Amino acid sequence: MLEVAHVRKDFGAVQAVRDVSFTIAPGSTFGLLGPNGAGKTTTMRMIVGIYAPDGGYVTWNGTPITNQLRRRFGYLPEERGLYGKMKVREQILYFGRLHGITDPLIGEKTDAWIEKLGLQIYVDRPCGELSKGNQQKVQVACAAVHDPELLILDEPFTGLDPVNADTLLETLNDLKKRGTTLVLSSHQMWQLEQICDEFCIIMAGENRATGTLAQLRDAWPTRVIKVEPPSDAVKRVLDRVPSAHALPNLNGALYYEVPSGTELPGLLRELVSADAITRFESIEPSLHDIYIHTIGQA
Amino acid sequence: MNEFITIYSAEVMRRLRSRAFIIGLVVGALGIMLMIRLPSFIESFTSQSYRVVLAGNPDLISAARPLLKDDYNVAATAPGLTNPTPADLKSRKASLVIVLTHAQRGIRATVYAKDPSSVTTSDLRRDLLPLHIGFATKLSSKQVTSLLKMPVEVKPLESKFGTAAQADQARVVANILIVLLYILIVLNSQLIMTSVAEEKTSRIAELLVASVSPSTLLAGKIAASATLAILQMALWVAIGFIFGSSATTSSMHAATHASPQAMSFSGISAADIAGFIVFFFLGYLQMATIFAAIGSLINRTEDIGSIGGPFFIPIVAALFIALTALEVPDAPFVVAASFIPLIAPFVMFARIVVSSVPLWQIATSFAINAAAIWGIAILAGKIYRIGMLLYGRPPKLSQLWHALRA
Repeated sequence: MLEVAHVRKDFGAVQAVRDVSFTIAPGSTFGLLGPNGAGKTTTMRMIVGIYAPDGGYVTWNGTPITNQLRRRFGYLPEERGLYGKMKVREQILYFGRLHGITDPLIGEKTDAWIEKLGLQIYVDRPCGELSKGNQQKVQVACAAVHDPELLILDEPFTGLDPVNADTLLETLNDLKKRGTTLVLSSHQMWQLEQICDEFCIIMAGENRATGTLAQLRDAWPTRVIKVEPPSDAVKRVLDRVPSAHALPNLNGALYYEVPSGTELPGLLRELVSADAITRFESIEPSLHDIYIHTIGQA
Repeated sequence: MNEFITIYSAEVMRRLRSRAFIIGLVVGALGIMLMIRLPSFIESFTSQSYRVVLAGNPDLISAARPLLKDDYNVAATAPGLTNPTPADLKSRKASLVIVLTHAQRGIRATVYAKDPSSVTTSDLRRDLLPLHIGFATKLSSKQVTSLLKMPVEVKPLESKFGTAAQADQARVVANILIVLLYILIVLNSQLIMTSVAEEKTSRIAELLVASVSPSTLLAGKIAASATLAILQMALWVAIGFIFGSSATTSSMHAATHASPQAMSFSGISAADIAGFIVFFFLGYLQMATIFAAIGSLINRTEDIGSIGGPFFIPIVAALFIALTALEVPDAPFVVAASFIPLIAPFVMFARIVVSSVPLWQIATSFAINAAAIWGIAILAGKIYRIGMLLYGRPPKLSQLWHALRA
């Protein structure tokens, strides 16, 4: 289990991270969200041991992060980089060796990653000659070739075309199935929503919300309900719901935002008795909605 | 340890394949060959260019010709020509006309030259002195030559050398070794700075420091660079020996301005060679560590020269003090400089070669410089750790101070 407890990191007068805490269960996938400058990258760097926290602590299975321990981690930084003149296979082998994998195992693992990411035709090409998307795939292979227990990916989907983004998503799902603990940050909410079990939204170096998507939704103060037909009788019923307000009509349906505590079965019964209801739907907030709401509240 | 070996071997291979290293190696080898061969080439070219016509009294011309043969290319004689014109020079394709006539006592030489600055009167006077004295004193040339060979003997007191010739030989070799030391340290420090700066600007640094500790990364790079520096040194020294041994004595004479036997290594002891290797490592480790830290602060490869340039000043100063130390090894400022980190590796080595440096001074200098490496490594490691992940504007001094105090 990864435990990040009240970590703080200062750079001179700048407080990059003030107080961030979360725990990640082994084998789960965790999404770290926040606007630019929120402290996501600094938090990730503290997890991977690049920075030592100025306050708080980070442990993996109860052990503080040491040089020996972090060899079992993998990290894909936001700032992508490769040795431009080094060939693809050579580069992946190098990072595998840096993480302590020896011959002949490292060769097998490297070839497996090359195949998995569809890089076979580039193996003997210098990385500098590859497209940005393919370079990114090489970087993912470099970060994960040693089968890390914990893989941290900072904005892994940035710069990828939809096909490569799907390939990466598939790869991450594979790792997840194999029990790798994943920590991801991304601004592509729908991708995180697809893969992550838990989330932490941070802003200005502090936690704003933490939990599973269901927990975050439970904490969401309102629900949007969609009702058809958009008749006056239906409107009258909905207007009577305390604190409810109408949203713009769309595609011949009525949209109302109601408090999350509203008893929906009772409301549906009232609507049915008022008119011939053809559609009644409670729309759950998406991760994107929760994120925007949380950041907007701050 | 495995990480260190992985970084070390990858760095060695990367540098061996790099264009900068190969070009540096080849250019250095060519430079050494050129340095050895160039003086003889220039001398032959000069002697070809400065064709001399001997004119005036026929008896004096025939007597003077053998005396001048070592320093002048006597291309023609013109007995009777006492007042040459530019046309006389042109027709004989000569640069000088030396007119020899009898004087009231001895002889008189008048030189007519296209370029008077090319005439060294002291050389001419020295060459013609036996003839001049012979005519002035009526002694035979044999007697004059015998008189001119006045015995002069130099007896060393508190010197590590048996003879003055050995001291001269040691000084010449030390000169070459100090220049070699300078080139190796400057070249390899520059290469390590470039390598670190490239890793930073290519943004691979973060991936690396996430995989291994910055100190291991730095140590691997510096060790790899040291290995390649030794390889360079071995190659260049080998080329120096091969070309040096086949070079003509006169070319050596011109190159070193010393006695014709000056390139001999008889004045250099095994202890001197050991000193060269030890002080090379001390100097290299200090400079390479500093330059690695500087490289980590560079955000654009085009800034390497402007940011790194000022840090070469101590090495240039060290070179000049070391060359001075070859002449005055016991001067107080030279002795003091032989303890100062960054400068001592050059100066102490120079002193060791040309004088008997007390053992305590060598040991103290070694201890101070070894401790300096440790101190520099700690400070550079802190800068490197911060600098490698610092993008955008170069860090302010206050930020660096904060990093160093952390």
